[in-house]
Amino acid sequence: MSNCRYTAVATWRWVANDDNCGICRMPFDGCCPDCKVPGDDCPLVWGRCSHCFHIHCIVKWLNSQQVHQLCPMCRQEWKFKE
Amino acid sequence: MANIAVARIKREFKEVVKSEEVAKCHIKVELVDDSFTSLRGEILGPPDTPYEGGTFILDIRIPETYPFNPPKVQFLTKIWHPNISSVTGAICLDILKDQWAAAMTLRTVLLSLQALLAAPEPDDPQDAVVARQYKETSDIFSQTARHWASNYASAPHREPVMDDKVAQLKNMGFDEHKARVALSTHNWDIEQAMENILS
Repeated sequence: MSNCRYTAVATWRWVANDDNCGICRMPFDGCCPDCKVPGDDCPLVWGRCSHCFHIHCIVKWLNSQQVHQLCPMCRQEWKFKE
Repeated sequence: MANIAVARIKREFKEVVKSEEVAKCHIKVELVDDSFTSLRGEILGPPDTPYEGGTFILDIRIPETYPFNPPKVQFLTKIWHPNISSVTGAICLDILKDQWAAAMTLRTVLLSLQALLAAPEPDDPQDAVVARQYKETSDIFSQTARHWASNYASAPHREPVMDDKVAQLKNMGFDEHKARVALSTHNWDIEQAMENILS
């Protein structure tokens, strides 16, 4: 009689259209420079223009913009994708 | 300095070093010290311009709020260009001011500056004297810019007539750079240039 044991291992990835955040330039598999652990605490967000950033990075960018809030990649008006 | 600024500059550094433009020796970035806040950039003057083959050195300062605010960039190499001050090297370029975006990088800034050398914007000048010359006497502008590039940026194409005029004033005891500025400003009229230096 044999005794088999299985250890379950899972991996996850963000489904983003790019490898790096255009603002901090860190990989999307990692987190923004202010966070320690990737995942739900440092989520990605998409704009309607389809560009994707760490939420912490895009919020800092939008807060630094006085007049228009534009996507840092394509300069279209930034709207969070619903 | 803020975490994000240093982390990003370090990553950008690797990107510029690995980029195609560096392999072709068109742009370069170096550290000045180990702080990552003060950098030295280098761009090659683009072909078919008066700056062709010249090496232009840039002083790059990274603000604490980078990349949410643009880097502060100015030319250390003296240059004759409508959008760059011939006195201070200050640059008038929209992306270094209100048109900056956080996704821009040292690499794109250096490439934009190279593009600015190829396509001046005389209607948005940083140096009004140069801009007027560019608009009114474009031949003299091109020769003057080439003369400056050969003298200050080691560009290969010389302007012998202009070199001679600078040498004439220098032999009379005038400071070489002052003589060059006065001649450049007065469309290479020696008498007007002398009057200007002496007044």
